[in-house]
Amino acid sequence: MKSELNFENADQFYESLLDAHQGLSREQSESFNARLVLVLANQVGSTHVLLACLKAAQESGAA
Amino acid sequence: MLQTPHHYTPVQAASGYEFSAGTGYQLPEYPFTPPPELKAKKIQRHDIVIAGGGLAGLTLACALNQYGVKAILLDEDNTVGVKGASSRGICYAQKTLEIFKRLGLYDRIAAKGVQWSVGRTFAGNDEVYSFDLRQQNTHNVSEQPPFINIQQFYVEGFLVEQLYAAHNRTVELRWNNRITVFEQNADFATLSITTPAGDYTIEATHVVDCSGARSPFRAWVAASVTAKKGDDRWCIADVRFKNSPPVERHTWIEAPFNEGRAVWQHLMADGVWRIDYQMRPDADPEEVSREDVVRTRINGQLGRDVPHDEYDIVWVGPYAYRSECLDQLRHGRVFFVGDAAHVVSPFGARGGNSGVQDADNLAWKLAAVVQGRAAPALLASYHHERHEAAEHNVLVTNRTARFLRPADGAERLFRTAAISLAKRHAFARQLVNTGRMSSPNVYSRSSACHSSGGRALQNVALHWADGSRGDVADLLTWAQGHLLLLVFGLLKDSESRQALRLARATGVRCVQVVRQASAASAKEFVVDSHGHLAGCVGSTRWAIVRPDSYLVATGQALGDSALTQAVRSARGVAA
Repeated sequence: MKSELNFENADQFYESLLDAHQGLSREQSESFNARLVLVLANQVGSTHVLLACLKAAQESGAA
Repeated sequence: MLQTPHHYTPVQAASGYEFSAGTGYQLPEYPFTPPPELKAKKIQRHDIVIAGGGLAGLTLACALNQYGVKAILLDEDNTVGVKGASSRGICYAQKTLEIFKRLGLYDRIAAKGVQWSVGRTFAGNDEVYSFDLRQQNTHNVSEQPPFINIQQFYVEGFLVEQLYAAHNRTVELRWNNRITVFEQNADFATLSITTPAGDYTIEATHVVDCSGARSPFRAWVAASVTAKKGDDRWCIADVRFKNSPPVERHTWIEAPFNEGRAVWQHLMADGVWRIDYQMRPDADPEEVSREDVVRTRINGQLGRDVPHDEYDIVWVGPYAYRSECLDQLRHGRVFFVGDAAHVVSPFGARGGNSGVQDADNLAWKLAAVVQGRAAPALLASYHHERHEAAEHNVLVTNRTARFLRPADGAERLFRTAAISLAKRHAFARQLVNTGRMSSPNVYSRSSACHSSGGRALQNVALHWADGSRGDVADLLTWAQGHLLLLVFGLLKDSESRQALRLARATGVRCVQVVRQASAASAKEFVVDSHGHLAGCVGSTRWAIVRPDSYLVATGQALGDSALTQAVRSARGVAA
């Protein structure tokens, strides 16, 4: 899993992500995120990397 | 002979089994014969006793009979199927069909059953995706199709008839023989049996428990079980329409006509459809299986009030599923096979198919030990191999169950996400899990396979030395329970001598595999003109094939110590 910066343009992605959620209810946002996770996960593909990503997300939430 | 009720096929001459009042099949009954032990003074010892004459027990009986091994099969009733519940497994996978080919009943199953290849999955009113197995080439090297759908009692009935028709039958079928008491020591088991003509006691060197999910042997040997139970409820309706819908497998994840729950639709023999409805978790099993309730569901599915005489209800059965797996598939003298050893949800057809494959796995090992070709240590590999298979089947079916009955919250959220993506994006179709169809398991931790083996060899077509057509199953039948050494390509004289020495020392049957008959130099050879057999094995120089069509090991040089090692381990001789 990449921990170092890999975005071509992090600020632009972050802004687009927020824009995509604009005007969505909490439920709609949840559904959008779920679809996004699946689409992104398929871009990664590697089981090993995906499991490391899940772990990273879990650990950051616990901290 | 077990046949289609004539009610279903008016053109056919009347058969022995009549359709009873539009509600099901009349199952055959087999004769009870008082066992000789009822009059014997001394307790008799049998090499092999099979408990239970279902799919697994009868497959084992047929296989042992083919190897010429003596055994007795005890069944507590006198028929196949479950009385009043005449349909259970429906979907028989390629590996199972290959085993039935070897046992000699494949042609009857193919003639009676239905091959399907088109599957469509729906959510709401939308088709999420469809597939056509005929266009997938992973299935096309075998002589058997990917799947045949047929009612389980037909398969069981064919197995019984196959046994009764055998010349020099070595397996005795004892109907109405119920085991009531079991004990064992290090050398043998003692069984008390009750029959309509009285009770008797026998001893057995090996007991094979094929008595199903409610096996009494689990308690008798104090077996530990890893289990998981959910709250998913389903109700099967087997129905026969006068005018059949198309021969396709339809799966609804969220059927609008079933309150947004799942529905399965599968065709079986005699034009009978299995329609399987997912129910509310708190549904009352009696209520959902009432005839008027079933007819209301079918009206909803077809979108109109279907007149009663347009279809017969053949069978209705509500069920809940669970997963269970014994932690040890062998306890002393007892081997657990089929549902007695493991139970899974029906998704992917992994119940009956794994039972048949358990039986085929154990049969050749018992035969080899009883007939002196292998050491008793070989029998330990049954647990290694089939427990790994069972664990895998539990894992795979539990994943499907979780997709089909997601917990409220995140699980349902992700399912909805996967379904909505699947309509537009091919990758997400793989996440839509309506069952991963049964395929041969890989054995990675067996004492009887090496890391270069442990895979099933498909039933590839080939030609015999005289030019006639055959297949791998025929080759295994010819080997009569012995290991098979396949050597690919041209043979040097020194290699021929090596192979002969191995054959003499171990009883391994050696066969040269060539692309053209003119290239053959060995006495026994087969022609693999398209290289399909070589391709399946993995383009190696040699392969050791077991009687259950699994590879023990493969390698590049006949002089390899790996070859002799492989033969030793597949004969239960410590390395």
